[in-house]
Amino acid sequence: MSGAAQGSAATTKAVTDDKSKNGEPAVEKKPAAQLEEDDEFEDFPAEDWTEEDTQIPGGNTHLWEESWDDDDTSDEFAVQLREELKKLGQTK
Amino acid sequence: MSMEAALTGFQQAYYKHDALDLANCLKPTPVDRLYDFWRSTNEVRVEHNVKHAITYGLGGIERAEAQGWIDVFVHFWRASDKIIKADQAQNQGRLSERHAVEVYEAWKDLVQTFQKYIGNGTLPHWIIFTLYFVANDLRKFAIKADTQLAKAKPVTFSAGLSDDVVATTPKNQKLEEAARVFSRIFALCMSDRNPNLSESRKWAVYCIANLQFKTYFKLKTITLCKNLIKSIEAQADMPPWNLYPKAHRVTYMYYCGVIAFLQEDYNKAETALFNSWAYCYKGSTKNRELILTYLIPCRLITKSEIPSAQILQEFPHLQTLFGDLVSSIKRGDLAGFDKAFAEGEPEFVRRRVFLTLERSRDIALRNLLRKVFLAAGYEDLKEGQTEKDRMRRTRIPLAHFATALRMGSGGGQTVDDEEVECLLANMIYKGLMKGYISREHAMVVLNKKGAFPGTGV
Repeated sequence: MSGAAQGSAATTKAVTDDKSKNGEPAVEKKPAAQLEEDDEFEDFPAEDWTEEDTQIPGGNTHLWEESWDDDDTSDEFAVQLREELKKLGQTK
Repeated sequence: MSMEAALTGFQQAYYKHDALDLANCLKPTPVDRLYDFWRSTNEVRVEHNVKHAITYGLGGIERAEAQGWIDVFVHFWRASDKIIKADQAQNQGRLSERHAVEVYEAWKDLVQTFQKYIGNGTLPHWIIFTLYFVANDLRKFAIKADTQLAKAKPVTFSAGLSDDVVATTPKNQKLEEAARVFSRIFALCMSDRNPNLSESRKWAVYCIANLQFKTYFKLKTITLCKNLIKSIEAQADMPPWNLYPKAHRVTYMYYCGVIAFLQEDYNKAETALFNSWAYCYKGSTKNRELILTYLIPCRLITKSEIPSAQILQEFPHLQTLFGDLVSSIKRGDLAGFDKAFAEGEPEFVRRRVFLTLERSRDIALRNLLRKVFLAAGYEDLKEGQTEKDRMRRTRIPLAHFATALRMGSGGGQTVDDEEVECLLANMIYKGLMKGYISREHAMVVLNKKGAFPGTGV
């Protein structure tokens, strides 16, 4: 069965080479396939490693943002908001 | 080089009981390493030469086991032959799908030979790990074969027939077939009834499951992953989890986490992904990045927390992916959020985090409303009160929130008062803000303590 498929592949290749229409999907497919590949969880270089080689010694303290920058005077929006709210207070 | 010399590495690994070294002897890449072994014999003499080398090389082993190894190496030689020929074809620019398929088929024979002799107890139990590596290469060869077949397909049949062809030959034909081979290996591991756990094939359960996860994700048949997890969880007499190699555990936890994530079970996903993150090998940047790709959206949902600037800096890809969105959330910038979300959409969809991230707009809104609360300042001090008794004003006119929302939505959009009330009620319902709306007074009365839980105020 595979022999038949190969045979027809060989004979039709020449015919379709100049038909860019048929060739296109294959070209388009390639970058998509590479992107998928890119998402794959890779094989590790070793089967096991010590805790020193993991995230554990550092802990997760720096993973999540803990600061709120509430005193940040460069927060333009907060400054503007205060202005606007002040106006509201005056018109009351 | 003689066949005997080419197999010394195998002998050494065998006597050391080192499954990994043994797998290295059967590694198909880079192709150069196959040449010595390949040249040591030919198609006609391969069985004779391998038999001779194994029988004399592994003195004292049982006949049946020797026969197992002879079969393995004969199949390995045949696969090497196909790999070298495909490589030569590629160098000459005449690689066709036929080469890729032949390599895949030959390697599949090798995998199944292993499987047969492990299954009937001829080869020792620890060879199961060698089989894992050999099977992992089968996965790669299957993907290559499918890629080559897909490339060849558009030119194989005339347009009129192509509909039928799509129906009869699936896009991932070889990988689907490989998936069935992996299921049988998985069953081989799970069904080991040896009461002596140190000699159990169950030690390979997670690494084979990982191989299946990777395959199912590629095939987009993620439901099958759930069945796999269920069957492992239902298995009572498994060796202790902590004794499995970290590579197995970290990969398994990553996939469990992503699967829970896709099922929107964010608490379960976070636990699994954090576990994967904590034990992940520090040098594997790509994998750490992948874990965070799901852990970050998870955390947004479970704890309404954003990643630190430091962690995004450490992973430039994540900075590109999430940077604008996260900084908009932090600033409570709804217009910025909408823009970043629209710009990132194709990538968010591709990574399957789109729907989860969409829900994080609530956090941007929470942060905006929080700014209104902060801007309201403090109550005047009463007699006898000191600085440390100072209380924030907790009664805030609805109009203030309305102003902030109008400013925050990019100015152009109008937000009517009823919509403001609705948004606030939603925030309260979701527990992102504590308090109630007094419609009578057009006021929002916030809790004196923890008006915006988890945000320090």
